[in-house]
Amino acid sequence: MATGIIGTGISGIQAAQLGLLTAEHNITNANTPGFHRQRTVQASNTAMSTGSGFVGQGVHVSTIERMYDKFLSGQVSSAQTASSELDAYYTQIKQIDNMLADPNAGVSPALQAFFTGIQQVSANPSQLPARQAMISSAQALVARYQGLEDRISQMYDGVNSQLTTSVATINSYSQQIASLNGSILTAQSSNNQPANDLLDQRDQLVLDLNKLIKVTTTTNTDGTFNVYIGNGQQLVTGSQVMTMTALPSAADPSRFAVGLKTTGGTQELPESLITGGSLGGLLSFRSGSLDRVANDLGRNAASLALTFNAQNALGQDLLGNIAEDSGFEDFFNVPTPTVVASTSNAAGDPTVTAAYTSPPPFSGNFYTDLTNSDYRLNYDGANLTLTRLTDNKLWTGVDLAAINAALLADPQGFALAETSAVYTVGASYLIQPTRDAARDISVNAVVAADPRLIAAAAPVRTQAASTNTGGAVITAGSVAPGYTAAVGLPATFTYSPVLPAAVPPLNMSSSVPVTVTHGGGAPVAYAAGASWNYVSGDTITFNNGISFEISGSPNTGDKFTAMQNSSAVSDGRNALALGQLQTQNTMSGKTASYQSAYAQLVSEAGNKSREIAVKSQAQSALLKQSTDARDSLSGVNLDEEAANLMRYQQAYQASAKMMDIGNKLFDSLLSIMS
Amino acid sequence: MRISTSQIYNNGALGIQRNQSELYKLQNQISTGRRVVTPEDDPVAAAQALIVTQSRDVNEQHIDNQGNASSQLGLVDSQLNSLTDLLHNVRDRVIQAGNTGTLSNADRQGIATELESRLSEMLGIANSQNGAGDYLFSGYQGAALPFALDGTTGAFAYAGDDGERLLQVSSSRQMAVNVAGSDVFMDARGGNGTFVTASGVDVGGVVGAINQGTGTIDTGSVLNPQQWQQAVNDPLAGQPLEIRFSVAAGVTTYGVYDPVSNTTTGPLPFTPGQVIPLLTSAGVDFGSQVVVNGQPANGDTFTIKPSSSQSLFQTMQSLIGILRTPLGSTSYTSTEYTNALGAQLTNLDQASANVSRVQASVGARMNELDSLGNSSSDLDIQYQTSLSTLQDLDYVKALTDFTMQQTNLEAAQKSFVQISGLSLFNYL
Repeated sequence: MATGIIGTGISGIQAAQLGLLTAEHNITNANTPGFHRQRTVQASNTAMSTGSGFVGQGVHVSTIERMYDKFLSGQVSSAQTASSELDAYYTQIKQIDNMLADPNAGVSPALQAFFTGIQQVSANPSQLPARQAMISSAQALVARYQGLEDRISQMYDGVNSQLTTSVATINSYSQQIASLNGSILTAQSSNNQPANDLLDQRDQLVLDLNKLIKVTTTTNTDGTFNVYIGNGQQLVTGSQVMTMTALPSAADPSRFAVGLKTTGGTQELPESLITGGSLGGLLSFRSGSLDRVANDLGRNAASLALTFNAQNALGQDLLGNIAEDSGFEDFFNVPTPTVVASTSNAAGDPTVTAAYTSPPPFSGNFYTDLTNSDYRLNYDGANLTLTRLTDNKLWTGVDLAAINAALLADPQGFALAETSAVYTVGASYLIQPTRDAARDISVNAVVAADPRLIAAAAPVRTQAASTNTGGAVITAGSVAPGYTAAVGLPATFTYSPVLPAAVPPLNMSSSVPVTVTHGGGAPVAYAAGASWNYVSGDTITFNNGISFEISGSPNTGDKFTAMQNSSAVSDGRNALALGQLQTQNTMSGKTASYQSAYAQLVSEAGNKSREIAVKSQAQSALLKQSTDARDSLSGVNLDEEAANLMRYQQAYQASAKMMDIGNKLFDSLLSIMS
Repeated sequence: MRISTSQIYNNGALGIQRNQSELYKLQNQISTGRRVVTPEDDPVAAAQALIVTQSRDVNEQHIDNQGNASSQLGLVDSQLNSLTDLLHNVRDRVIQAGNTGTLSNADRQGIATELESRLSEMLGIANSQNGAGDYLFSGYQGAALPFALDGTTGAFAYAGDDGERLLQVSSSRQMAVNVAGSDVFMDARGGNGTFVTASGVDVGGVVGAINQGTGTIDTGSVLNPQQWQQAVNDPLAGQPLEIRFSVAAGVTTYGVYDPVSNTTTGPLPFTPGQVIPLLTSAGVDFGSQVVVNGQPANGDTFTIKPSSSQSLFQTMQSLIGILRTPLGSTSYTSTEYTNALGAQLTNLDQASANVSRVQASVGARMNELDSLGNSSSDLDIQYQTSLSTLQDLDYVKALTDFTMQQTNLEAAQKSFVQISGLSLFNYL
C-alpha cells in the first residue's frame, strides 16, 4: 500500500481512472439492450495510526457495481411476458378481424345472392336460365365458405410454424443462459467480484425468453440461474439444458403442441402449462378464437347444406323425380364430421365415426342442433364419456348406443358409430362436427351439370272434382319427411253420408288409409274405405306425411283427389319454401338464422379483437411503467456521465497536482541538501 | 426522478407513434366513409349491420317479386278483359237468336257459325302463353296445353290443374300470380248457381222425352240456403227432383217427384206463372222455389238438380248445337228451343259473372301489390337509415378529431426534437 503524499496521490489517480473508465463504459453502452449503468464504489484506505492520530492513506475502489434491482427487473419480465402474449394474440386475431371486415367479401353477400337466385327460381320454375343462375350463386357461396376456411387453415398452419420457430429460439436462449451460467461461475469465483456485463447479458436473455414464454428463475448460491416454465418444469439447471420441441399433438396430429425432450422420450406439455409470451399468445389464440371461428363457420356451412337438402328432398325436380326416385339428387354435398383418433390409442381400438343427424322439421322448415364446440370421447375401463369441450358437459354410457341415446335426449346434431365395441382403457377420440365443414361443402356436381334437378316443385297437388256440387275446397297439400308416393296415388276422398245416420254422422271416406287430426288433438287412423265424421278444416294425412285440409260444405257424392304433381313445370312451391330458409331460425336449435349466426361470429371475433386490443394497450402501459422504473434506476443518463467525466477528470487532475506538490516538496528537501 | 437518456428517446418515439396510429385510423375512416372499418371498431354495430343488410336485401327482393307479380297478373288481367268482351259479344248474339219469330233456320245457322269462330277465339285466350312460353291458365303444368278438344267425347277437356303459382311478395304474404284455367273456364256453376232447371225428363244427365206443352221454367230461386244444403244431403231425398204435370179433363195438376222415395206430391192444381215450392212427399224441404209459365202438356216434366261446374266451352258448344238444330218438328218445338236457349243463356251469364269474379280477385291482388309496394319502399328507407346510423361516419366529428390529432402529433414531434437537442456534451 502506498504511503505518503505520492502514494495517496496515486491511489486518487487510480480511483479517478476507474471512475473515468466506468463513465466511458456507461456512455458507450448507453444503447445496449439490458445494460445496467455501472459505478465505482470508492472507499478510503485504512488509515495509518500515528501518535498524531490516524493519518488517511488515500482511496481505493472496492468494487464496480451495476445499478440493478432484482424486484424492478422481475416486474419488467412479468409485464413483458404478458405484453408479448397479448401482442401475439392481437396480431393473429387482427387477421380474422380484417378477414371479416369487408362487408362485400364475407359470407353475407354471397348468401344473399344465393337466396335471390332461389327466389328467381320460385318465380320462374320452368326457366333453365333462372335455375342455372341459382346454381352459379350456390357455387359462389360455397367458394366464399371455402375461401374463408382456406384463410383459417393458413392461420392454423401459421400457428404451427410459429410454434416451431419459437421453440427453436427458446432452445437457443436456454443454451446461451446455460453457457453464461458457466462463464459467470468461472469469472466470479476467480476474484470474487460481480461479472456485471455477463450478468446483464444473462438478465437480458431471461427477458428475451419471457417474450416467447413465461419463465421463472431462481438463483443458486454459486450465482447461477435455474429457469423454469409452467408450474416448475425445468428448462435450465445451472449449465444443464432441457430441450423443448414442437410436435404434432397426440389428440389431434394436425395441430402442433409443445413438448419437453426427456431421457424417456418426448413428453407433450398440456396447453395450460404454456402461458405468457408469444407462445402462450399463439396457443390461447388457437384454442380461444381460431377454433371458435373455424367451428362457427363450419357450423354455418353444415347447417345450410343439411337444412337446404332436407327441404330440397321434399320437392320434385323438373323431370318429375321426387326423393324416393333413383334419379333424385341432393343439392349440396354435405360434409362429414371429422373424428380424430388419438395417436396414443392402442392398435386394436375401434374406428369411431360421426354422422350428422337429419335436421328435424319445424313450422314448415328445418333446423340443426349443431354447436360450435368440439367433443372428446374417452373410455375409462367401465364407461364411455363424451365431453363437450367448450363447457365440459358430459354424456356417459356403458357403450356407444347409450351415448347416442343420451344424445337423442339432448341433441347435438350428430350421432356416433363404431367398428367394434372393444375399447382399451384410455382410448380417446376427438370429434369435430363442424371444423372442416366450410372446406368440404360443395354443390352436387350432378345438379350443377343439370339445373333441371333442382327440386323447385312440390310433389303432390290436389283437386276438387268438377262434378262437385258443394262449396268445399281442398288445400294444395304438403309433404313431410318420409312421405311415400309410390303407392296409393292418386288418392280419392269422397263425401258420402253412411246410412243409417250415426251421431256424429260418418260421411267422409278415403281410398287410402289416413289419419285425421281435429283441432290440436291426436291423429285418429282410419282404414281405406272406412268413414269418419267430416269437420271443416281437419287435417287429413296419408302415405306417411302427405297432408291437406278440406274446408267448407261438401255435398253428397263430392270427390277430392290428391295426386302426384306430374309435369308441374310451373310449380315453385318448394323453391318458395327453400327461399324461406333464409329468414327462418334454422340453426343452433332454432335460435338463429344463417345470417344471424354469421353476424354472431363476426361480433364475437370483433369483440375478442377489441378486448385483446384494450388489454394489450393496458399491458403496454404497465410495461412502460415498469420499464421506466427500471430505466430510471439502471439506464444511462449521458448528461450524468458527462458530469462524471468532469468529476473524475478533476479528481485525476487534483491527485496529479498532489503528486506535483509532493514532488516539489521533495525537490525543496533536495535543494536544501545541495 | 432520475431520467435515463434512453427513456427520453423511447417515450418521444412512443408518443409520436401513438399519435400517428390514431391519425392513420381516422384517415382510414375518412377515406372509407365508414365508422366501423373492421368489426373490432364496434362489434355490436358490425353484427347489427349484417342483420339489417339482410333485411334490406330481402325487402329489395320482395320489391322485385312484387314487380314480377304485377306484370304476370297484368298479363292475366288483359286476357280476362278480352274474354269478358268476347262473352258480351256472344250474349248479344244469343239474345238475337232468341227472336224465334223473325229468324229463319238459315239465320240461326249464320249465328252458329259466328259463335264457332268466337269459340276458337276463346280457345286462343284459354291457351295463351306468357313471355317465357308457359301457358297462363294451366296451373302448375305450365308446359301442358291446358284446353283441347277430346276426340272421343267431343268436349273440351282441361289438362291443367288447380295449382297456384306463388311468389313471395312480402315476408308474410305469398301471392298467387296466376288463375287456374279450371277456375275461369270450367268452374262456373250452371243454372242459378245452386241448382239447374231443365225441361224434359232427365235420363242420366241427358234430356230424354221432350216436353210438348208451352210451359217454361225459370232458373228458380233459393230462399233458404241452409235448408237447401241440408235437404240436398238428406238421405231421404234424391236428385234430380222432377215436377211432373198431368192434364186431365182440362185441369192441369202437378206434383214434385223424388227419386228416393219414388213418390210424387199432390196432385196439386196448377196456375201458369205460379210459384212451385220444392217440397217432397217425404217432407224434405229444399227451401227453394221455381216458377213455371205457359201451359205444360200432359206428361211434361221439368227437372231440378244441384249445379255442378259447367264448362264455358260446353256452354258455347251447346249454344252452337241448339242453333244448328232446325226448328219446327214435334221433336224440337219452339218452346223447347226457347227453354234450351234460356238455360244456356243462364249458363253464359253465370260464366260471365264467374269471369268477373276472377277478374276482381286479380284486381284485388294488383291493388294489394300497390299497397305492399308502398310499405316496402318505406321499409327500404328505414333500413337504409338504420344501416347508415350503424356504420356510416360522422364526417364533422371525424374531421375535427383529425385536426386535433394532427396538432397533437406536431406538438409531440416538436417537443421531442427540442428535448433530444439538449445535452451537456454540447458545452464540453
